Amino acid sequence: MMRGIWSRETVAAILLIASLPLALAWLWTEGAGAALRLIAVLIAAGIWHGVFMLLRAQPPSLAGALTALAIAMLAPPGLGPVALILSISFGVVFGELVMGGWGRNILNPATITLAFAGFGFPAAGWPELAVQTGWAAMAMLVIGCLFGVMHWRVPAFALAALAGAYLAGIPVGPAMTAILVVLALLVADPVTSGTTGLGRALTGASYGALAALFTAMWADAAPVQLAVSAALLASLAAPLYDDAALALWQYRRRKSLG
Amino acid sequence: MSLLLRRGLKLPIESPPAEAGAPQLALTDESALGAGFGRDFRVDPLVKPGDQVAQGAPLMRARRQPELALTAPVGGKIARLDLGAGRALSQIVIFRDADADRREYATGDQSPEALRALLLETGLWTGFRSRPFGAFPASDQVAAAIFVTAHDTRPLAAPTRVALKGAEEFFARGIEALSRLTEGPVFVIQDRGADLVPASGRVRILRAGNLHPGGLAGGYIHRLRPASHEARIWEIDAQEVAAIGSLLAEGLVPETRVVSVAGPGLARGRLVRCQIGADMRELVQGLLTPGPRAILSGALPGALEARHLRLRDRQVTVVPRRGDQPRRHWFRAALSRAARPMPVIPTIAAEQALAGGIPAMALMRALSSGDLEGAVALGALSLLEEDMELLDYVTDAEPGFKGLLRTALDEIAREEGA
Repeated sequence: MMRGIWSRETVAAILLIASLPLALAWLWTEGAGAALRLIAVLIAAGIWHGVFMLLRAQPPSLAGALTALAIAMLAPPGLGPVALILSISFGVVFGELVMGGWGRNILNPATITLAFAGFGFPAAGWPELAVQTGWAAMAMLVIGCLFGVMHWRVPAFALAALAGAYLAGIPVGPAMTAILVVLALLVADPVTSGTTGLGRALTGASYGALAALFTAMWADAAPVQLAVSAALLASLAAPLYDDAALALWQYRRRKSLG
Repeated sequence: MSLLLRRGLKLPIESPPAEAGAPQLALTDESALGAGFGRDFRVDPLVKPGDQVAQGAPLMRARRQPELALTAPVGGKIARLDLGAGRALSQIVIFRDADADRREYATGDQSPEALRALLLETGLWTGFRSRPFGAFPASDQVAAAIFVTAHDTRPLAAPTRVALKGAEEFFARGIEALSRLTEGPVFVIQDRGADLVPASGRVRILRAGNLHPGGLAGGYIHRLRPASHEARIWEIDAQEVAAIGSLLAEGLVPETRVVSVAGPGLARGRLVRCQIGADMRELVQGLLTPGPRAILSGALPGALEARHLRLRDRQVTVVPRRGDQPRRHWFRAALSRAARPMPVIPTIAAEQALAGGIPAMALMRALSSGDLEGAVALGALSLLEEDMELLDYVTDAEPGFKGLLRTALDEIAREEGA
């Protein structure tokens, strides 16, 4: 094993590789327009990365490309260029760059971008994802977990919560493609999905439960919209879950050691 | 008790195979003591350059605890004695004399007090490390438990069973002696093979897998007997335990330890019996492959370039020396070099690199942010720098967590007045 093999950029590169099936499936089903959209988002986000590189000596990360992919796939297609650039700037700058770059952020920048776009521009519709992207999202999760850059508890407990909701009669089926894609791109981010085993499990479970709840109760929400909303809330709660997990760990340790 | 710690990583560092057969005797003409005693280890010398000393004879006494003596690893002539400010030991160099005497010690008194005094006088006391903080135990300190590391999982390390071959009785005698130094348990961390010593009374066997850092004591101490100011936990290597047993049996301070000489910079590896502080250049003579090479004391991931084998190191690792990096265009440099250290991303590898069930990211963040209370709550007092070496190696963290842990431990020690 080389020294420093699991550096930040190695992890980002592996995540990008894991996302290739999803990206290719999306480009295949959406066509040239999707590719142009992706390039535009890459340029917009890349400019901000360049600005911070020059002003704050903060090198850009390959994870920015993953953020761009998530935004390009999930952002409302009806957003005009100004609204899109505004949303990207808000999410990338305040969600990641001002905090010191990828690895120091609390929320996934794509989650913030999409939430901002959804709340700020509610008239713009949400994209409909082809079912192939849902399968490709599963492949991304498997590859990420096999390489150890994603933690299996997040998707496992999310899927368990969704399975429980399905068995309880909640019709999560029509929204599953969007739920899986958001799970792979946003929720399973190793930086923001929790740092303890229990924290990750709770993050995944809460995402699945919230997605199921929104499916059941939020009648006029688009699948991508409810999935992004569930991702935002689950990510906001992740630090709390970690704190609870650490408190529980310390309690059990004190008890076992007397 | 087996497979307590299932975490760990395999470091496939290449090295040519070692020569077959038992470890060869390879006493080097020059040896030095100095590295591994700590930054501010102040001494009162008992010898001066030019003096002839017997093997095992006291060379100097620790200023802070005069009962502790450092003894000559080999007999010969004192070539050089370097002391820093406040008589802090820098190094003492000895030229070996094959005809030199060996100092004999009386070992008749088997009481715990006499044993303690004997270990202090012969310098074998320096084989112990006390947690928290990692210093030699004070002469009057009583251990709440003692951990014996008898399975070295570092890459290219000499198998402990090979190192102890022929010294099994000394090892058993040494374990019995350890039982007299503590009223708590004596844990022996070994591999999954047959028991190295019978598990009876207060002696307990812990079995570790082959992944590193499974053989280190830190994870077990953290899990089973967390170290604290009130409960000091000692740690000692299996070869040092055998050395204690040999001293008790023969009255002579053992001259050699088994050391692994290996690494990708060698034509072939070897196992040798050499003295503590041996000149590593003599140990690798005739074995180097062409090209610039760095000779490191210790095992990757925590090896340091040095001239002489450090106090606790039982490996010499030879690696190709990296050349100077060419200067890059400022834009290319800006793409990779950061004004602040790069963050560590939570990955399975980072968690596996820290043994003992410790919440890895939480501990890393506590150390990075200087949260001493948080680090103590997570069990940092049970750890030493070696427990963080693998984490630094796989993540290339800057600043390294080794240094951050040492800073935290020093600060805690200062606050507690230890």
